Amino acid sequence: MKRTLFQKVVCLILSVTFILATFTVGASAGQYKEASTSSTLEEMKALVGTSSYAEYIEDYAEFVNPDGLVSKFIDVTNFIENNGDAYITVDSPYYLEALENNASAWGGFGDNANSSVYLTTINNDKKASSVSWNFTVTNEEVGLYFLKIEYYNCQTSESSVSAIQRKLLIDGKIPFSEVSSLTLDKHWSYNNYSDSEPTEAPAGATVGTTVTYEYIPADVVKGTRGHYNKYVTEVYSDAASGKLMQVVTTYTIEQDINGNSMAPLAEESSEWSTYICADKAGYTEGNFKFYLAEGTHTITLEAEREPVIIKSIEFVPAEDGGSDVISYRDYLELHSGKSAAGGSITVIEAEFPDSVSDASVSASNDNTSAITYPIAPNAQLFNVIGETGYDAIGQWATYKFTVNQSGMYNLSMRYKQNALQGMFICRSFKLAGGEYGLNGTPTSPFKEAENARFDYDSNWQSTKISGYVQKYDEAGNPVYDGNGNPVKEKTDYQFYFEAGVEYTLHVECALGDLKEHIQKVESTLANLNEAYLKIIQYTGADADANQDYMFEKQLPGVLVTLIKEAINLTEIADELERECGTNGAHISTLDTVARLLNTMGKNYGKEIAANLSTFKSYLGTLGTWINSSKQGTMMVDSICIVPVNTTEQIPYASANFFQSIWFEICSFIYSFFTDYNQMGVTSLPEEGVHSIDVWLASGRDQSQIWRSMLDAEGGFTDRYGTAVSLKLVTGGTLLPSILSGKGPDVYLGFGAAEVINYAIREAIIGVSGNDPYLTDEQNAVFSNYIYKDASGKTYKYAEPLSDADAAAQGLTLVSNKFEAAIDGQFAPAAMKTLTIYSPLNEGKENADVTYGIPMTMGFPMMFYRMDILAELNQEVPETWDQLLEILPVLQANNMDIGVTYVLALDFMMYQMGGSMWKYTDQSKYDSKWAGAKIDLDSDIALEAFDFVCRLYTDYSFPVSFDIANRFRTGEMPITVGDYATVYNTLVIYATDISGLWEFSSIPGSFDKDTGAYNYDSLATVTATIILRSCLDGGDQDLLPSWQFTQWQTSADVQSNYGNRIVALIGPAAKYETANINAIEDLSWTANEKAAIRNQMDHLDAIVNYPGSYIYARYMKFAFLDVYNEGAKPHDAMMDYIDAINSEISRKREEFGLPSLDKNASAPTKG
Amino acid sequence: MSQENVKTVDTARPVKRDEMSKWQWTWKEIKRNKTAYFMVAPFCILFIVFTVLPVFLSIILSLTDFNMLQFPPNFKGIDNYTRLFLEDEIFMLAIQNTLIFAAVTGPVSYIMSLLVAWFVNELPPKVRAVVTLVFYAPSISGQVYLIWKTLFSSDSYGWANATLMKLGFITDPILWFEDAAYVMPLCIVVALWTSLGTAFLSFIAGFQTIDRSMYEAAAVDGIKNRWQELWFITLPTMRPQMMFGAVLSITSSFGFGAVVDALCGYPSVDYAAHTIMHHLSDYGGQRYELGYASAIAVVLFVIMYGSNILVKNALSKVGE
Repeated sequence: MKRTLFQKVVCLILSVTFILATFTVGASAGQYKEASTSSTLEEMKALVGTSSYAEYIEDYAEFVNPDGLVSKFIDVTNFIENNGDAYITVDSPYYLEALENNASAWGGFGDNANSSVYLTTINNDKKASSVSWNFTVTNEEVGLYFLKIEYYNCQTSESSVSAIQRKLLIDGKIPFSEVSSLTLDKHWSYNNYSDSEPTEAPAGATVGTTVTYEYIPADVVKGTRGHYNKYVTEVYSDAASGKLMQVVTTYTIEQDINGNSMAPLAEESSEWSTYICADKAGYTEGNFKFYLAEGTHTITLEAEREPVIIKSIEFVPAEDGGSDVISYRDYLELHSGKSAAGGSITVIEAEFPDSVSDASVSASNDNTSAITYPIAPNAQLFNVIGETGYDAIGQWATYKFTVNQSGMYNLSMRYKQNALQGMFICRSFKLAGGEYGLNGTPTSPFKEAENARFDYDSNWQSTKISGYVQKYDEAGNPVYDGNGNPVKEKTDYQFYFEAGVEYTLHVECALGDLKEHIQKVESTLANLNEAYLKIIQYTGADADANQDYMFEKQLPGVLVTLIKEAINLTEIADELERECGTNGAHISTLDTVARLLNTMGKNYGKEIAANLSTFKSYLGTLGTWINSSKQGTMMVDSICIVPVNTTEQIPYASANFFQSIWFEICSFIYSFFTDYNQMGVTSLPEEGVHSIDVWLASGRDQSQIWRSMLDAEGGFTDRYGTAVSLKLVTGGTLLPSILSGKGPDVYLGFGAAEVINYAIREAIIGVSGNDPYLTDEQNAVFSNYIYKDASGKTYKYAEPLSDADAAAQGLTLVSNKFEAAIDGQFAPAAMKTLTIYSPLNEGKENADVTYGIPMTMGFPMMFYRMDILAELNQEVPETWDQLLEILPVLQANNMDIGVTYVLALDFMMYQMGGSMWKYTDQSKYDSKWAGAKIDLDSDIALEAFDFVCRLYTDYSFPVSFDIANRFRTGEMPITVGDYATVYNTLVIYATDISGLWEFSSIPGSFDKDTGAYNYDSLATVTATIILRSCLDGGDQDLLPSWQFTQWQTSADVQSNYGNRIVALIGPAAKYETANINAIEDLSWTANEKAAIRNQMDHLDAIVNYPGSYIYARYMKFAFLDVYNEGAKPHDAMMDYIDAINSEISRKREEFGLPSLDKNASAPTKG
Repeated sequence: MSQENVKTVDTARPVKRDEMSKWQWTWKEIKRNKTAYFMVAPFCILFIVFTVLPVFLSIILSLTDFNMLQFPPNFKGIDNYTRLFLEDEIFMLAIQNTLIFAAVTGPVSYIMSLLVAWFVNELPPKVRAVVTLVFYAPSISGQVYLIWKTLFSSDSYGWANATLMKLGFITDPILWFEDAAYVMPLCIVVALWTSLGTAFLSFIAGFQTIDRSMYEAAAVDGIKNRWQELWFITLPTMRPQMMFGAVLSITSSFGFGAVVDALCGYPSVDYAAHTIMHHLSDYGGQRYELGYASAIAVVLFVIMYGSNILVKNALSKVGE
């Protein structure tokens, strides 16, 4: 009886809350949030409901294009837009501005400015740009067409490092899901080359091009740094003098002072290119065909990433442009008269590509084989290309070469493919030059070259490029085996090259023969995911093994799926095994999954419920299987052009025993002498030259990027004349270094909580110009604009000089005052976390000192699965009330919402208008009282605490979960987490749901103080700080350190860094810059940018006042008391208030801050 | 001093021991044995610099308010100790937890090591090698205890939760490592699991060194069963190894902290598994109060030293 009564009461309370909640939504509809950045239900449904290309083209399978179809051109200059979505290039503000800044980047632009169109990414309404064109198709023109776009990868202030992406709509609808995001590649090349003046060729030289490589180790005696060069010597006969002349182009990979290679900078090179719409994922062969029916149509390009200039949009009749690539048999036939070439092998070192598809396709180091060229036991030299960054489908690198003899050649490669155990990966080889290519764009010489196979081996291999080719009998008929499968034999491909012609070899990551297998596993996975969701919607995630669920009656379809997919997987595994010849760990994964499916399907009564969680983890395994199979990860040392009749050997695969052992011994000994802190250091500061010490604790890639940005032309050293000694340190190094008096001048990325901890113990210099421990002279560095004249003498001004005045006096600005340095660049919340009252400033007008400038800022946002919400017919919730409204729908389908209580406890309180600390309102209290007591005992805080506790107790939010996994399976379609962290995880881990999720601001709560919804998220900040050890040995480091801090946190530098790290590591290395202005130039899509900016406008932060460590643990204790022991939220929290306050008071007294007794409260102002 | 030493002195220069002061005599002896001193120097220097000196330093620091960043610290007398014993409730809790923990894991792991070693010793040599590795593996495998985190994960997919839910004992997942009721017992279990470490190995080695003829002699003298053999022959012969094992057991059970951090988070819920080690790192690492942390360290040192003496006395009773 008691229980039912209790339940009734709870029900009553809940329903009242619901009614009230809906009420408040209605009441406050007037003060709604500005613009919502999340997709509407309609948009999500449209996206999820789009059919695939296979389904689309099936409708036109019988259709044959009439004869005489011609290309259909669309007049690109006649576009429809709303507000700044597109411009005729010559009118575009971006074009004009870009021309002014870097006209050389627009070299190939020609006279197209009047006839081309500049498509922006974000229009004047701050929305993703969308441009449309109308065109009419007459009765005669009805047919299947390819879509061809001529574009220019322009570099303007809108651009970043990502590839250009557009969403294609025809008549306002995505024709099929594959074109929901078209990717137009950019071109990248390296700027590390120089041409010599023409000189007379040495005697005996012949006309032609030769390539040589040279590794020059560092010379310790002379003190010179090492290089690794590629020389391209072009000999030609000079018409004027009749002599043979030569030009040598030198490509260099530089080394640091320890002989480690340093990455050459990949630079975007703007070019006109042709894009023909095809499957980026590599599944569909050939180009996509579009059916154009009679009537007027609209074609729309909606911006996702990057601006682009287009010159033409053309619908090419499907037959014309789609001439099929010939087979290898036909290719050989075509060259049957050609003789086998002889002579010597041409070796191309793969680490020197001429052009690449992404900046991440770059040279790297491998020290696992003693004969990889070049190699050094004491340094990391770039000697291979790959293995990371050159593994995604469609990534390519090109190499130019010429041969001396016309004839047939093999290609060979020295490579290491140890990623996919027991499996092979594929590369597609394309050629341009001579008879090959289309307008200089490489094309496949024959079909089989598109899937050259590279088998697995844990060691290096050196083999000729080969693949499996249909076998023919002597009569010329294809041979089939007993089952009717074609018999294929392994063949080393031969290519015809003509002497003296410059060829371009294009090596692209492709799915090749794996395509069908992967596609099958993908469809299996999709079916199984669906089956899993159906099962848990029926049984719940924690199914009871002892219950009879009657699956055969309830979910007969699921049982069929399980058994069918088990058979499918076994078949795929068998086929792969046959093709690879072995059953490696990678392939047997499929068997393992198949066995489980089989058991579950056959013995459903018992096994389904018992194995549900294993089933779920196997779904993840399958996803990972697909991801890793798609990745063509391998390292390539060299590619050889091998004359068929050569007497020479192709490079050895592995070093011999003695070479290896000697190399290992040397490496081991050198490892004692290598200074890993000095990675990437190009010069030790010369004596007498001024330098500052900067430390950072992060990865080597990050440190190399900073290093190169410091040293670059126009970089810090160039601009301010101060050298920087950048050291990569481990996390805990700062504390002991300060104690022993060997601290750095500047430290990058120091957590805000630690900043305050160090600041109140005098270890950090305040940068707001009122640090009480600094002299007025020293503080003036931060409270003035500082100018320098030609002689280096400095001048301080309280207000900035006008440009004219400065020029007249011959002065240049070298540092801003604090207020100007932060002005509008950082969220107020971020600044708040670095600022604290200094007791020594008592009585001064501004006693709060800011210690450092924010470098990174993270904050939680909401991630959601669009497909699931669309399926459940639910809008994306924007408030907690809305979220709780759709919760029953989710829970009825056994789905949950993923938010950790630690996060929820904090932001819910701030959203409801509460605060962690008392007396922080500066209009009411002196800032010396801020944080003197905890505010968790206020009504709002207790209400928020109570609400969060109820989320986990009454609404059964899960307390502990793995976000990535559950989000991927769809059990947790809505989750809240740090935006960059979750994004980076999902991009890598959950590729199977890419495009199905989005993120937007976290849901808001009703703030009683302001009477409106509050969408605040809480920022976590790391900062660039100046240590007090900067003053050791005088004041001369103070100004350079302050200059460095400003430079390093400025918008340009931050966005440059963020883009480079993405270019180097990939899309999962998104950087959370704290500089608001830098977000614009980072490689987020237009919608993502809008969402991030929107959340940045709704940020707060918890300041780490002295004793701040204490509240988090007691809040956690209080929550766990409620959750585990069923304590009342109010009592649980109040139990700890005294303990928190007394610790805070004790800590404040330690630092001479005023503290309060248990029952006292701070005096109000005035 | 042995007869020989005196003799050599006599032949070099006849000097009587009582003709010299104590220091002179010591100095003379040092000079004479300089090779030996030279040999032990590397260890002694390292030991003094990195072990003895820090102990003394922390005793000195415990009398100050050193905060790790500002130098020099202020002298505070015994303030830290009075605060520790009179005001710090959590320290009392920590001592209580540590003692419970040490009282359970110390003896149990010690006896377990001894018994398992005894059993293992009975096995044929090849099997023994394998079994030894099996028992010893958890303690050398670094952070292998993290598998307990999977086993008792708070997620509804954690093994323990999933099993209990499947069997119908619970409907909502239990937050094993975040529930004050389970934290301490679980940590004790994990500690025992990893505790068959060096002590266990030294016991096995000890068993091997016992002279078989002693057993024969004992049999002649009237030993009745294996228990008597163990008590009167085996254990007394192994006293050095047992002392070594005991010291290790005590130190590890008092110094148990990292495992709790990794499993229960820091600090553990309601300080349920908060040991002296945690209290120490709380003040040293989080609150930057190294003076106070040093005082805690000194107390821990005294407790450990005291319990070593106790154990030594107890062990001397073995075989009596």
